[in-house]
Amino acid sequence: MDEEQLRIFVTILQNYFEQQTLRAAEVGTPFLGEPSALPVFDYTAVIGISGVRRGCVYFTAPGELLRDVLLRVGEPNVAEANLADLAGEIANTISGNARRDFGPDFMISVPVVMRGRGQSIQVPRDAKPYVIPLRWSKHLAALVVSVR
Amino acid sequence: MFGIDLGKYRTLVVSIFLFLLFDLGVLVLNFVISSEIAQDAEAVNLAGRQRMLSQRTAKAALQIEKQAGSETPDPRLPAELALAADTFERTLHAFRNGGETVSGGGKPILLARLDDAAAQDILTRTDAVWAPYRKAMQAALAPGAGAETVAAMVGRAEDTNLQLLGLMNELTTRMEAIAASKANNLRMVQVGGISLATINFVIILVHFIGHLRRADRELESARKQTDDILRTTQEGLFLLDPEYRIGTQHSRALAGMLGTGQPGGANLLDLLRPVVSQKTLDTAREYLDLLLKHEVKEKLVASLNPLDRVEINMSEAPGIASQRYLKFAFNRVKEGKRVTHLLVTANDITRRVQLEQDLKESEERSANQMSMLVELLRVDPAAMQEFLAGAGSALDGMNALLKDQTEGREAHGARINGIYRIAHRLKGDAAGLGLSSLAGNVHALETQLSELRERSDLMGEHFLPVTVRVKALFADLEAIQSVVTRVAAMRAAVVVDPPRPAADAQAQALQFVQRWRAYATQIAQRRQKCVELSYGGIDIATLDAAQRETIVGVVNQFIRNAIVHGIESPDERRVRGKPAAGQLSVYVMRNEEGGVDLSFRDDGQGISTERIRLAALKSGLLSPERAHTSTDRELIALIFAPGMSTQDHADTDAGRGAGLDAVKEMVVGQGGRIRIGTTRGEYCHFRVTLPAAAARPVQPASEEIKA
Repeated sequence: MDEEQLRIFVTILQNYFEQQTLRAAEVGTPFLGEPSALPVFDYTAVIGISGVRRGCVYFTAPGELLRDVLLRVGEPNVAEANLADLAGEIANTISGNARRDFGPDFMISVPVVMRGRGQSIQVPRDAKPYVIPLRWSKHLAALVVSVR
Repeated sequence: MFGIDLGKYRTLVVSIFLFLLFDLGVLVLNFVISSEIAQDAEAVNLAGRQRMLSQRTAKAALQIEKQAGSETPDPRLPAELALAADTFERTLHAFRNGGETVSGGGKPILLARLDDAAAQDILTRTDAVWAPYRKAMQAALAPGAGAETVAAMVGRAEDTNLQLLGLMNELTTRMEAIAASKANNLRMVQVGGISLATINFVIILVHFIGHLRRADRELESARKQTDDILRTTQEGLFLLDPEYRIGTQHSRALAGMLGTGQPGGANLLDLLRPVVSQKTLDTAREYLDLLLKHEVKEKLVASLNPLDRVEINMSEAPGIASQRYLKFAFNRVKEGKRVTHLLVTANDITRRVQLEQDLKESEERSANQMSMLVELLRVDPAAMQEFLAGAGSALDGMNALLKDQTEGREAHGARINGIYRIAHRLKGDAAGLGLSSLAGNVHALETQLSELRERSDLMGEHFLPVTVRVKALFADLEAIQSVVTRVAAMRAAVVVDPPRPAADAQAQALQFVQRWRAYATQIAQRRQKCVELSYGGIDIATLDAAQRETIVGVVNQFIRNAIVHGIESPDERRVRGKPAAGQLSVYVMRNEEGGVDLSFRDDGQGISTERIRLAALKSGLLSPERAHTSTDRELIALIFAPGMSTQDHADTDAGRGAGLDAVKEMVVGQGGRIRIGTTRGEYCHFRVTLPAAAARPVQPASEEIKA
């Protein structure tokens, strides 16, 4: 996956936070993670990718970040189910826009949301995934791109 | 039958025909006999009427005689007698010979001659009695007939009356018997006909129930075989109608292939729409129309099939996308000359396609590795392993710097410089081993870092291209490692001489010195310069790994630095009275503290403090005032500053200002120190001291640089 394609994912996320919360998300320095030690926060939305490239992309965020996003958009219900829904919505935004931007070379699956920091996300073991840290309103989240 | 081929229905049609024939026969006979019975009933009635007429004639004759002396005789009596006698005779004649008479209602009625012998006998006898009586009546009724003729008629009537009555009774009884016999015959015919029809029906029933049960069994067996085939085949089999609808009978594998629960009845093109391009879909429709609606040979258009390799992407489970390849083949199904359906065979060719792709990738990889192989075959395996270990650590070091999320301009600057130093050293080491393509890729990373350094709005996300490049370098190293492993395997397979003992110090020394010489020659040739490298001292293989790695890395940087900045061109050297080839002298020695001393000296033009001053001013390392007041010593110390270079344009060898920065980092990282001696126009001498392993600090020691 080249820089251009990674930037598409980053831009989608930045636009989401900018448009929904009117507050920009800061992107940290991207680095390469180890498949066995990737960041996983409270809520993780995973999107599978097939086609010319195969693997997955996931967005992972702590509950506090999702709760603050909900409150900021005027949603007082910050129950766990709502937080998971929001993570799913973010993943849907990523997959929907990515489908449009990447074209037919990338097949993007229906996202699945997982709860809990102990979750193990299945990523290709033979490739170092990109970890793109995000900071929104002092909360840390991450976008992980593991595509062969 | 009737020129129609009835096939297996022949027996059924014949049986039904017979059934109908029997029914029709019974109907016709019924009609005929019923008509006869109706006629017989009429005849029985007429025979009964003959009894009445015989009595009426006798009665009329007696009344005529009685009124013979009356002054007012009833004029109707003679007419009544004449009518009764005439009717009696006409009916008698009709019974005997056949002919017309009048019915009870006065209408004419045609009677057939009675064929029954007994009846004819009765009629003959009746005629014998009736004829003289009739004659007497005609005489008595003749105009002017006298009393004697009337008396004669009455006498005859008295004589024959009972006879005639008895004969007509006999006739009536006989005719009733004939009618009863015919009615009986009718019943017999009906019973016989209906019995035959019933037997025929039972035969049909028995025959066809057996036949149907047999056919059902065969059908069931055939259906089971078809079901077994459709259930177990790995292919997707189905019929496609002219509306592109999938038939309800299809193989079980089809649903899995198309990723839909019930493909039966669905439109194939609708199912394919989300997974293939619009162009493929349009071509598929045209192709199907061609097969379904046009007279073209299947084989001729088979190559146009756009669905012979369809890529299907689907989500087998949430979060996991999968990709499959299907091949659809189409054959016409005809009834007569008309194409009614297409038999479609879908095959999952994912495995085959993946193997093809793997083969292609493998071939490409092999082609790439071949050029790399040529480079790697020239490198000593031990040196290569050492390089790979060091390079892996270098990339991990770069990634660690990226992973550190400290924000701010200074932190980003430090990150760039840190990655730069590692990259520069890696580039030197790669070039030193002759890995030119890897060195080129690291050089490209340096270019990206230089561009980042120029940015005033530097943020974390701007490091994305750097991260991508670092990942590519990891991949390069992996590829080199893969080739090295293969080379090692090949060497193991072809080496017949016993391996040289590892303790052959002279040979080992020669190898690393040769590498330095080759590296020096390579750079010198690129710069149109000429150099000679001489070495004295210990075999660096006896040093510990960290010291050895540092000495190799530092010497590589010094060689590059000396040739690029120090050694003059051969012409210039001649003008200065120096030999055309620049002299590089390297000396490595253990010191008394157990550490290592390195001496590197070149006989080039020495360090130009003026050029350093200008470069420092240009790069912003020094303010104009500070640049003006700095001493030579301070200026020379700047050659170790990040980003400091006196070369205007960056190239593979220099210009980034990272070489001596990297040297400083390596030496200081080991807790060592660097001293510089230089005389303008004559030489430049670096002396590096590395401490013994035990004296090495855990954290980098504070730098000590002496000029």
